[in-house]
Amino acid sequence: MSPTSVDFPAPVDFLTVLPAAIVALGALVGLFFDLLVPKATRRTLAVLVAAISLAGAGIVLAQQYGHDVVAFDGAFIQGGFSVAFSEIIVVATLATLGYGVGVGRDDQVAGSTALLLWSASGAMLMAGAANLMTIFLGLELLSLALYCLCAMSPRATARESALKYLILSSMASGVLLYGMALLFGASGSVSLAAIATARPTFMLELGAGLFLIGLAFKLGLVPFHVWMPDVFEGAPLAVTAFMSIVTKAGALAVLCRFAYGALPHDLSNAILVPVWVVAALSMLVGNLGALAQTDMKRLLAYSGIAQVGYIVIAFAGQTSLGVRYAIFYLAAYTFMNLGAFAVVALLARDADAVVGVNRFAGLAYRRPWLAAAMTFFVLGLAGLPPTVGFTGKLLILASSVSAGYAWLAGVLILGTLISIYVYFKIVRAMFARVDDAHVIDEHPAVLLPWVTVAICAVAVFVLGLVPLAPSNVLPLVR
Amino acid sequence: MIVTALVLAPILIGLALYALPKAAAGAGRWIGVVVAALAFIAIAADAGAPDASVPWLARPFVANFHFGFGPISYWIVLLLAAITFSALLVAKLPRANAFAAQMLILQGAMSGVFLAKDLLPFALFWDLMLIPVFLMLLGWGAPARTARSHGTAAWRYLIYNVAGGLALLLATAAFGIVHGTTDVIGTPALPQSVAGEVWGSWIFAGFALAFLIKTPVWPFHTWMPDTYAESPPPVVAAVSAIQSKAGLYGFIVIGVPFLTDQMHAAAPVMIVLGLIALVYGALVALTQNDAKRIVAYSSLSHLGLILVAIFSFNPIALAGAVVYIVAHGLSSASTFLTLGFIEEREETRDLTRLGGLGTKNPRLAGAMLLSALAALGLPGLAGFAGELLILTGVFGAGLWWAALIALVPIVLAAAYMLRLFQSMMNGPAVADLPERRDLSWIEGIALAPLIAGFVLIGINPHPLVGLLANGANVVAHLR
Repeated sequence: MSPTSVDFPAPVDFLTVLPAAIVALGALVGLFFDLLVPKATRRTLAVLVAAISLAGAGIVLAQQYGHDVVAFDGAFIQGGFSVAFSEIIVVATLATLGYGVGVGRDDQVAGSTALLLWSASGAMLMAGAANLMTIFLGLELLSLALYCLCAMSPRATARESALKYLILSSMASGVLLYGMALLFGASGSVSLAAIATARPTFMLELGAGLFLIGLAFKLGLVPFHVWMPDVFEGAPLAVTAFMSIVTKAGALAVLCRFAYGALPHDLSNAILVPVWVVAALSMLVGNLGALAQTDMKRLLAYSGIAQVGYIVIAFAGQTSLGVRYAIFYLAAYTFMNLGAFAVVALLARDADAVVGVNRFAGLAYRRPWLAAAMTFFVLGLAGLPPTVGFTGKLLILASSVSAGYAWLAGVLILGTLISIYVYFKIVRAMFARVDDAHVIDEHPAVLLPWVTVAICAVAVFVLGLVPLAPSNVLPLVR
Repeated sequence: MIVTALVLAPILIGLALYALPKAAAGAGRWIGVVVAALAFIAIAADAGAPDASVPWLARPFVANFHFGFGPISYWIVLLLAAITFSALLVAKLPRANAFAAQMLILQGAMSGVFLAKDLLPFALFWDLMLIPVFLMLLGWGAPARTARSHGTAAWRYLIYNVAGGLALLLATAAFGIVHGTTDVIGTPALPQSVAGEVWGSWIFAGFALAFLIKTPVWPFHTWMPDTYAESPPPVVAAVSAIQSKAGLYGFIVIGVPFLTDQMHAAAPVMIVLGLIALVYGALVALTQNDAKRIVAYSSLSHLGLILVAIFSFNPIALAGAVVYIVAHGLSSASTFLTLGFIEEREETRDLTRLGGLGTKNPRLAGAMLLSALAALGLPGLAGFAGELLILTGVFGAGLWWAALIALVPIVLAAAYMLRLFQSMMNGPAVADLPERRDLSWIEGIALAPLIAGFVLIGINPHPLVGLLANGANVVAHLR
């Protein structure tokens, strides 16, 4: 082998990032066509190009499943784990497109759709990232696009939301980067595999701690969650729905790979127990916070904080079952949450309208199918049958108990009990008898969010009976 | 096949009722009546139907959608079909299609609980059966006294029972992890693994919490009087007759065979709780003026007796518990339905405002008298057979003090049930109550299967017990 061939990655390496590349290039193609077509077709074309590139990425991903490839000298690993996360990201982005045919005005749609795709490709990079540089690259690609997306609304709260997100998220990135620098200093390498075999020192511990704090912020775990409801409330609905899944999927993939593969064995307990405590707090505080909310976006933001807690505790004990069920629950949460957001989108007058819980009052008597769909998604979020939320929660409970973390399972039960108040507040509003005087007139139904609602409802039911979870997930770091 | 249909068909037909056009407003109720009647005939005709099983989970433990008749569940599901039939036949509520739909979903979900042979579907349907009751309480419950109190009963019902359901789910997950499978109901007891001994107490605690809340047993009963008082009669008939038995059923088919040691260890506490419920329920029932609350507290009292019977670990007491579960189901359903007839006619169920109905509505009074006598355990009716077996068994198990304490509320039952009957039916007619029609033939048809049930079982309870002695592994674990 000649010395020059070592410096250049093999073509097969590029295939591993092909899905992310397709999504990112789809954004460019969309922007290019936007210059050529008349104004009336811009919106449709932008969304169509985005949907085609996402579908293409989804198909390529499906074919990569089952083949573990370590690419770019260990910087990127494409295998069952990253494929599963990427597929979730692709599905969530597609569903987001279905909410309102693009975000923003006609002349903004191509740009906002491109940003959405770049953000998704950043998250897909995070799913396969196996060294600190790739992680940061993916994270920043994800976040930078989102700062702009949050501002894409004429309302003043959107700009406030974007600015808040920019400042706080940049600070978190700084903390994360500082942690990365310390990890590099302690181990002499940016590779997660090398960090795992490094001599455990205080510097390494501190670096891992800062790294995890940065990640906890991106995930919105308590006590780093306060930005999330404000940002979710201000952002356009489709962007909120996108953030609720895609940012979390990317950060969860990194957290999982770091917890499973990048910590020296003697240190992993000391470093990770605080993470489990933070996850336990999230389950309780997220649901308690959601109790008082009257705005649906804020309510779903708080509920998302708790739901991420449920997923993170599956990693406790670092078992193979834990990863599989975390991915399964993330997929479950994707469909339940996007379904609920789609119902909110159907109730909203336009993409920027505020939807309060009171908009659901008497919905069961006005629009029974919509109420039935919302009830179904809400049952899922609350972990009640006959939904995937029930099966997903059961599997997480089982993996926590078998990994010896029964106390986390107990906290999960407690958090779920609190969440019953939150979610059934919506059910009660829909089914309780109300005076017709309070009923708000509906605008005529649009088709596209209904497609999302129907697909999510079917998925929420079927996945509950057929718990598919990727099997070849470990080892996460090589 | 038939077993699967018993669970799925009511749920699917119920959901389909929502698609009925608005013009067919009354059709849903009749479809529901027919479905329940067909279910009853199918169960009665095919007692030996084979189990149905579809794999669900292979990892982290084996769980299947496994359904089949058991020696106890057979009778409960038969009773459930009869009660759904009767309840829907006399349901006179607005939005009848939606109500019938919810009742059918409830029937399917409760069939799922009792027919499940696997703990995981058991837990699934356990949670599922809460939702139609919650929605019916919201949509058809008693009108709120104040704007703030709207849905309070529904809320309380949901929170208590979901708390139990979640404890059950966690315990089921732990059970599956420890034993490798949850497909155990009706199979011989498992050998206790080492992990089983460590985890056993926690698993038992989870199951027990769920079962005690569901029954309910003092001190977890506070959701029950409100739920029973505010539910429309068909719902309260189904909940008090069938749903409240799920916990006791769970103790018998899950606790006794698979958590034997923990059951024995917990027996003193459980017997005391049962006795407290028994005495407390009877005493409170004596003081109430709301007819529905009297029957609600009498249920608390009677179900406490069944708890005592189960935890005496005596085969005779257990046989009595099974008879009494069915007997109480029959008598409480017929009592609540009859109270519904009275409330619908007189627009009150306050004992102080009722009186002298017996002379005006003799058939109604007759139905009420039969139900009340069955509930108080008159010899010759089903309740007596159950009580006698339970008391004999409990005494035989050496718990003479428990049997002695249990006698007192049984006597008190006569006092409050007769007070209930007398205040409504006897005495001078209350002047401001207008003339109402007597029991209609359709209401009579609704009550007939229930009354026939407790008369027949009172004369010959043997079939109930016989199936238990023949097919059950339960008795083998008692000693």
